Amino acid sequence: MAPYVVPLDQARQMFPEYTFVRALTPSAQKAAFHVRDQAGHNLCLKIIAPNYERERLDREILALQSLNHPNVVRLIEYTFSSRAGHQRHFIVEEFIDGDDLKDIQRPGAPWTRAEVARFFSALADGLMAVKQSEIVHRDIKPENIRVRPDGTPVLIDFGLARHLALPDLTNTIQGATIGTPLYFAPEQFDGTKYDIDHRTDLFALGILIYEALTGNPPFFHATMTTIAQLRQAVCESEVHLAKPAFVALPQPWKILVGRLLEKERSKRPADAGQVATILRKIGAI
Amino acid sequence: MRRGAWHQCGDRSQLLVAEQLEQGAGVGVILSPRDLARPKALEYAARYRALGAETLLDHQFYVPDFTNPKLNTYAISALRAGISTLNRVSDADLVEFENQLRIDNQELGATAVLAPAVVYEAGRMDIMQLNSRLFGAAKRVADQLRVPTYATIVLGRSVTASDVTMASVLSNATALNSDGWYFAFEFEEERLPSSRDSVQRCCSAGLTLACTGKPVLHAYAGPLGLLSFGFGATGIGLGHNQKLWRFTRDHWQSPAGGQGGGGDAPPRFFSSALWGTIIYPDETVQLDAQLRAQVLTPSPFCTAALTGRAWPRWDSGKHLVNVLASTFAQMAAVQNPRANAQAAIDRLSGAVTIHARIEQAGLFLADSTNVYQDNWRLAMQDVLNGRSGDYDYLDLLR
Repeated sequence: MAPYVVPLDQARQMFPEYTFVRALTPSAQKAAFHVRDQAGHNLCLKIIAPNYERERLDREILALQSLNHPNVVRLIEYTFSSRAGHQRHFIVEEFIDGDDLKDIQRPGAPWTRAEVARFFSALADGLMAVKQSEIVHRDIKPENIRVRPDGTPVLIDFGLARHLALPDLTNTIQGATIGTPLYFAPEQFDGTKYDIDHRTDLFALGILIYEALTGNPPFFHATMTTIAQLRQAVCESEVHLAKPAFVALPQPWKILVGRLLEKERSKRPADAGQVATILRKIGAI
Repeated sequence: MRRGAWHQCGDRSQLLVAEQLEQGAGVGVILSPRDLARPKALEYAARYRALGAETLLDHQFYVPDFTNPKLNTYAISALRAGISTLNRVSDADLVEFENQLRIDNQELGATAVLAPAVVYEAGRMDIMQLNSRLFGAAKRVADQLRVPTYATIVLGRSVTASDVTMASVLSNATALNSDGWYFAFEFEEERLPSSRDSVQRCCSAGLTLACTGKPVLHAYAGPLGLLSFGFGATGIGLGHNQKLWRFTRDHWQSPAGGQGGGGDAPPRFFSSALWGTIIYPDETVQLDAQLRAQVLTPSPFCTAALTGRAWPRWDSGKHLVNVLASTFAQMAAVQNPRANAQAAIDRLSGAVTIHARIEQAGLFLADSTNVYQDNWRLAMQDVLNGRSGDYDYLDLLR
């Protein structure tokens, strides 16, 4: 789906109360800008596309409103107003200076284990806050993790989040297949919406940690050309556990990452808090 | 959840439990509304707490439409109904359910709320959803009372028949945002389970739950509890007779007011050396002195049996509970599940050896009391060997 683009000049006219610094990468549903308010605070303004699925947006807002954690993006304002035929529909979030994790990761360049432990334990703290709000993010991937200049990760983009205490938006029993396949858990390929829970996010976290530790993803490889091949690897293959870069890791790291990448949810860690604790414990190993 | 033996109440056991607690046997008590009317439950809960025990109330929704006069003394029983009816319960009724659950747990001084749950069955999404809803209600109650919530996971036979089904059900059940697990496993109809595969699956399921890092109370374990610390359990439910040793839904389907079986059957002496029973005195007198000394493992409740006097059958139940509780207390002191699994294997190996000596002496014990020890040993060994990654993970969690 094509990104929703609002030209910078048009955005300036629509939101004269903000000083526009630059346009950020838009998504299909939101045009994003780095702006400053009148007090000089750096913010992220997201203009919602007219065709945005209203109910899904409401879920995102609800998710963000219930979260207040340094490793999760903070919602500052949500406005949907119509005055004199002039509609304004936007979100203001905390602006997170820095880069996407996607821009930091380099194929074939593993991080040190101390770096992995420090970074991903903080990210796991954020995920635990998400879990405590009964939310599943469902789209954990490098593009949705901002990295502050001091190296702190911040989880962003709750556009696909699901609040477990509320009925899912998908009306059919299907509905697991939402998100980014490279970071899919087995239940996102083969399960139903009932199979999606916090541990689905932990599987994606496991992929990210595996990539950071070994320099390469556990399941995807360059010769794959179809989603079916990826599905087969994620749902059935154990090859990732035999790759030399993984085998060379110290045992506690192999145990943790192996558990995160278990096919069956019951065998993954119970929650991200557990993962954070273990990462801090084994960080020096 | 306190680590050690938990008394699984039922079948007129309330005084027995108090007596055991006075002896220092057991760390907690699970009250059974099926067997104890509410006024009595309040009275005994206070007594157990005064004796230093934690108390839990198991509302026993396993077979949710079962009821009896004692259950009816709890207001929550008005909401007992079949699964399909419960699945259609209105939000207003669910609020009433929560109210009653809160009042019962508060007044009984429960140290955690056990979430009522129906026995899990294969392919029954309606049961998953119902249990999730009941758990949500229990969680809200526990949050109000500022105590933990333990999800009840009772795996029915349709689930336990297959590893794949069991794994799938456990994945859904462990999605509940619980602080611990109250876990039971439905075996085939036997006094004690003898199938190596079934026992291995029970241990595997328990180990999966333990690997969540949350405490596991192995309910209705009885003598099988010898294996529970070996799969990472925190508490073991035990009782004085086989109705409390094993989970069977017949217990919640039979007519109310039954007095239990046994009739004039002679007492069974539970021997920790045999890890099983031997009939007193019919069989024990046939053992030579050395073997008898080895088999008649003592407790404060078997003095008569040790001295060859008449031994009331009721005392054999007390003896059984005491032996189990003290053995489990010793194992509870060891925090390492692998070490406890090995200790169980060693004890069962010893039991197999003594049983062989008894048979060599020409005595063939009744009740098929020697058929399960070797299979339990093999099942525990299977788990220890086959699930070593889980034990590694438990080590990492400690």
